[in-house]
Order: sequence, then C-alpha cells, then structure tokens
Amino acid sequence: MRERKAQVWGLLAPTLFLMFAIGVVPVIYILYLSAFKYNVFSRVGMVYTGFNNFRKLVFDADFLKSLRLGLTFVVLCCGIELPLGLLIANLLTLEFRGKGLFRTIMTLPLAMAPITIGSMWVLLMNPDIGPIPFYLRKLGIEYNIGVNPTQAFFTTVLVDIWHWTPFVVLTFMAGLSALPKQPYEAALVDGANRWQVFRYITIPLLKPVILTTLFIRIMDTFRVFDEVWMLTSGGPGTATRYVSIHLVRLVLQSMEYGYSSAMSLFLLYLTIVMCWLLMTFISSSQEAT
Amino acid sequence: MKKLVGLLVVALLVLGSAAVFAEVANPEWWQKAAEPYKGVVIKGISESTPPSKAMVEVAAPEFEKLTGIKVQFEVTSWDEMYNKSIQDLQTGAGIYDFIYVEQDIIYAYLAQNWLTDLTPFIQNSAITEPNFDVDDFTSFINYFKDEKGNIYAIPFEAFLKSYIYRKDLFEDPEIQAAFKAKYGYDLAVPTTWEQYTDIAKFFTEYGKEKGIELYGHIAQAKTHPCVAYEMCESIWPAWGIYNWGINLEKMRASVENGGTLNSDQAKKALRWYVDMLQYAPPGVRTYTWDETAAVFGAGKVAQGLIYLENLGWLAQDETRSAVIGKIGVALPPTAPGVMDEAKAGKGYIGYYDGGALGIPHSSKNKEAAWLFIQWCARKEWQPEFARLATRVVRKSTFEDPLIKELDAKMGGYFTLLKDYGYLFAGAPALPMHRPLNELYLKWISKAVAGEVSPEEALDNLAKEVDELMQELGY
Repeated sequence: MRERKAQVWGLLAPTLFLMFAIGVVPVIYILYLSAFKYNVFSRVGMVYTGFNNFRKLVFDADFLKSLRLGLTFVVLCCGIELPLGLLIANLLTLEFRGKGLFRTIMTLPLAMAPITIGSMWVLLMNPDIGPIPFYLRKLGIEYNIGVNPTQAFFTTVLVDIWHWTPFVVLTFMAGLSALPKQPYEAALVDGANRWQVFRYITIPLLKPVILTTLFIRIMDTFRVFDEVWMLTSGGPGTATRYVSIHLVRLVLQSMEYGYSSAMSLFLLYLTIVMCWLLMTFISSSQEAT
Repeated sequence: MKKLVGLLVVALLVLGSAAVFAEVANPEWWQKAAEPYKGVVIKGISESTPPSKAMVEVAAPEFEKLTGIKVQFEVTSWDEMYNKSIQDLQTGAGIYDFIYVEQDIIYAYLAQNWLTDLTPFIQNSAITEPNFDVDDFTSFINYFKDEKGNIYAIPFEAFLKSYIYRKDLFEDPEIQAAFKAKYGYDLAVPTTWEQYTDIAKFFTEYGKEKGIELYGHIAQAKTHPCVAYEMCESIWPAWGIYNWGINLEKMRASVENGGTLNSDQAKKALRWYVDMLQYAPPGVRTYTWDETAAVFGAGKVAQGLIYLENLGWLAQDETRSAVIGKIGVALPPTAPGVMDEAKAGKGYIGYYDGGALGIPHSSKNKEAAWLFIQWCARKEWQPEFARLATRVVRKSTFEDPLIKELDAKMGGYFTLLKDYGYLFAGAPALPMHRPLNELYLKWISKAVAGEVSPEEALDNLAKEVDELMQELGY
C-alpha cells in the first residue's frame, strides 16, 4: 500500500511541480508586485505602497469604463450565444437533408485560432475594401468600425458569436444526447405538445449543461483579447477597450507592473466570485433534480 | 555517376562562394575573425520593415555561408518586437544576441544599462574589420551614444518621415487649371499647412467629381501607438511644438509647468489633424504606418506624410505599387517661423527615424553578434542595402552611382536626405517614452474618435503627463 502511494506521488510529482512553477509561483509574484508602485522606467524603483494600488482601482475612471464595457460584452455574447446554441442544437436533433454538412461547416470556426479569426474579420470589415461595408453601402448603410463606436462594439460581439456559438451547440448536443428517454415518453403519453416538452422537460434536465457552458463562456468572453485586438485594438477611442485589452496595454505599453498586478488580482477575484456563484447554482440545481 | 554528381556539387559550391566573395571586400578577414565562433548560433529580433527583411533574406544567409556562424533572425510586428526584446532585457534571460534598437527607445535602454558598450569591440582589431570606419557614419549614429561618446548600437536604417505626393497629378495641366480656378494660385508642393489643406480638399472633391477613388490626405489614425507618434514626430514639430510638447529641463508638459503640450498652438494642430481626416479615405481611422504606405502605393492618395523607408517598393516594385514613376518627395509644410527655427538649430520640421542593432547586456555570444552587426553595416553592401530598403547610414553611400540612379527614381529622396536631413530630428531624450506614448495614444485617439474635443484631450493629456513624470521620479 505504501509502495503504491509512493508510486502515485512519484507519477504526480512532475505535474504538481509544473503546476506549482507556472501556476502558483506567478500568482505569488503578482501578489508581491501588487503592493508596490513599480514602473520599469521609473527612476525611483519599486516603492512599497501597501494596498494603495487596490484603492486606486476604485477611482480609476479608465479601468471602471473598461470593466463596464467588458461586462457588457460578456452579458451580450453569453445572452445571445446560449439561446442561439440551444436552438441550433435542438434543430440538429431533427433529421433533415444536409445535416452532416451543416454540422461540419458550423464547427469550422472552432478549429481556427482567435488571431486568425480576427485577421479574417478585419478584412471583411475593412471600410475601404471589405465586402461587408461595401454591400451595406449599396443598401445605404454606412458601416465603418474605425469611425462608429457602436458599430465597432457590435462587430466584436458579432465576431465572438460567430466564433463561439458552435462550441455552445456542441456542448448542448452532447447534453441532449445524454438525456433519459422515459420523461419524454411519459410526456407524450400525457399529451404534452413540443413546446411543453421543451419547456418542462428538456430545459430542467439540461440545466447543469447549460450552466456549465455558461460558466465556460463567461470566463472566455471576460478575457477576450485576440479578435478584438486585431479588429479594433480597443478603438475607436475607447469604444472596445475591454478590461482585458486595458490590462494588456497597461502591462506591455505602460509597463505599470505594480498597478497592473493589483488589477489582475482584482479581476481574478471577480472571476472566482462569478465562478463560485455559478458553481453554487449548479450544485443546488443538481440537488434539486 | 556518383563522382559526376559530387564534382557538380563541389563546382556549384565554389561558384556560390565566389559569388559571395565578390561582394565582400575582405573575405579572408571575416573567415579568420569568425573562426573561433564557427557553429555558434546567434539569435536576433527586429521589426518587420524593409531593412530588416533585407538583412534576414540577403545579409544573414551570406554571413552564414562565409563565416559558419548561424543566424536566427526573427522579424515581427513592432509591438511584438518590443514586448519580446524588453522582456529579454529586463529578465536578463539572454535569449537574444542582437536586437533592434529604435532611435526613440535608446534612452530607455541606456537608462536601464540594458545594452553592451560597443566601443571596446570597435577598438579590438581582432573582431573589427579594418574598413569598418566609424567616422563614415552619418550624424545619425550620434543618437546611439551616451554622454561620454560611447557607442551602444550601430545604425542600419535611417530615413525621414516627410511629404510625398503624386507628381503626375500635380503636373497634369487640366488639374493645375482646375486648382488655380478654384483657389487662385498655382498647384505646387505646399509650404504652409493652409496650402496643404487646400490641396487635400481639392483632390478629395476632384475624386468625387470624377468618380475615381482619390483622396487628398492620408494619416495613421488608428487607435494604436502610431497615432501618437504621428502627432509627436511629424505634425506638432511642423507646427512649432517640439519634444512632444515637453519641457526637457523641467520634464513637464503643461503650459503652467513650462511645457507646450496644451498650448494654443498644440491644440490648433490637433484640431487640424482631426478635421483633416475628412479628406482621407474612409478607412483612415483603421490605418497604421503600414496602411498609409499601402494606400499611397495603390494610387488612392494625392499627398501625405509617410515614412519614406517605403519609397523603395513604392518606386520599384511593380507587383505592389501603382505609382512607379509618379512619386515626388519634398519637405513637409510648416507653420510660420518653424523652418527658420529648424535652420538655426532651434527646432525641427519632422522626424529623422531609424534604428540600429545593439547587443543586450545578457547576450552569451557578444563577439559573434558584433561580427554580424558589422556585416550588415559594411561599406561595400550599403548601396545595395539602400536599393533594397531605402535607407542610408553611411556618408560614402550617397556618392555611389547606384544611389544616384535610384535618387531619380525616388523623386530626389536621397538628395533630400543628404541635404536637408539636418532639419529633421530623432525623438527627444525621454527614457520613459513608452508609457508616455500610451498616454498620448489614449487622449489623441479619444479626440480622433470624437469622445472629447482636441482642447479637452490636450488639457487632460498635459496634466497626466506631468503626473506620470512626477511618479517616475522626474
């Protein structure tokens, strides 16, 4: 038994070491940096400021705006991707001609790197040569993501939906295929119509899958970067400067290592709280079913 | 059969080596100097620009062939190049043996002691080619020296950001007549911003009237560091606002603290910049430095200020440029008094940009890297390098027949660089220029997007610059 334990720990050791080195150590270092005023180009070096960086966050109008924009982006993307994904997944339970082809094409965006998706949409949306602004102009609609902040914002939402709805569809399809048949048979015997079956059987049974998918998508959309960076770089002005973009600029361009560490920790905290709330909800819903 | 193939291979190798040797003044010296470093792999990084590409595609393979030193040369985007270089320099990881040192970042690198002093290398005859000749470099090399005169990087590119225009359009009699009828004076290269504005307006309207895609202005107005650089390097100096509007003695930007960043003239210039975007192509707010040159090359713009390192392909590459033989270059327009100040050495009219190769303090192959840096700066390759990448860093290069021939194709650019380069200047000595650029970008892009007025943007910017300077200990 002892030998087996040693073997288990021996096998786990490399993974644990790696997790510690690339997961725990950086967090400890960030925790340490967050207590300092530290810019690489400062003449005064690192200055201990305690919790001042966290205090500064509350009064930083740029950060608060980027956080608000980031959260709006999360709400919009998740609010559209999940119902749309559920609808498509349900449609894909039906048999129709070309279903296989549709499913293959639909999942293609998932195989592409976000940076490639961004590059592709930059060309599609280019105000000078992009086909989308070109055809919209023919319809009398001026579409220019370099000028119009609303259009830029909704374009980033649209790209995220285009890229990630297939993922939602796939998880829902997996969830739907694993549902028990008995409740459906009982509902048919009782004379329930399709909507009632969907509303009172499918949705409650699928709840854990829906919440898990929502959980993943919230995390992903909150830290969206590549597509937005390629499309708008946070502009025009600050229209799409989501919190992830704001943070990257602060670290890589401003080199504000102390303040950006505090900001990272706050965002980590926010993410953990959101995860915890969702996990609690998932657990309680699982207990209820 | 095997023997025949072997002989052929040997013959090809000899011929190949001879071709390389023909371009090298002193091949034996290079082979001897590189002998101790044969097989060493040196790694470098640079921005993806025409000069860097020429070094990667032409200089590096020839160097490898002759010396046996392997060169891994990464060319990437401007942002990525800085992210990678600075992380390597800061952590002392020693990933890179040579890096791109842009003129405006040198002050930051020197302040942090991140670069190797090359002066002892230059003085070491075992690793410095006898014809290296430091005195032959143009004055641009002075930007890469510390206060004591020690050299920390060797320039490989230097060029102006100046005025470029479509000679064919400016010389078209029909257009000239239409312009004169509308504005009452002859269409010519503008010397004032008012004339520039008239020309911009004229060509944009002309394009609309004729149903052709032609605009009178171009700018790099994307929410990107480039928009801040355009204001600081090109627009403001030509409006008489120097050194990014910062008083370099007091290290403050606001008017109340001795700076000029929120002065009336600076505000006037920014308002002009924002207003002028109406005369540029619709996508102008998505353009960086790359797109401005590309759009000019596509023949869609009549005039503008662009980085003239692009002239090489604009004037020669038929696969990319629609304006071959149609390009003119000139000094940028200026506000009253600015040209006189520049001539007197009290100001400047635009940006003398460029970069050099330096060796990080943490490099493990400094001598091998030094040999490669010299290889890229060797005299005999400079004219060809200028042909490939429109850059000149040595005085002797200007006298080469190839450069004189190219000068005509490029609208007299090399003559402009040689004769009027002194009117332009590199970035001011601001070691914190990277975080500063982020502040400038934030407020200028807000003004460009219409989130705030140009006046409000500059008042806020000047205030934040002063605060940043204080925080950084200046």
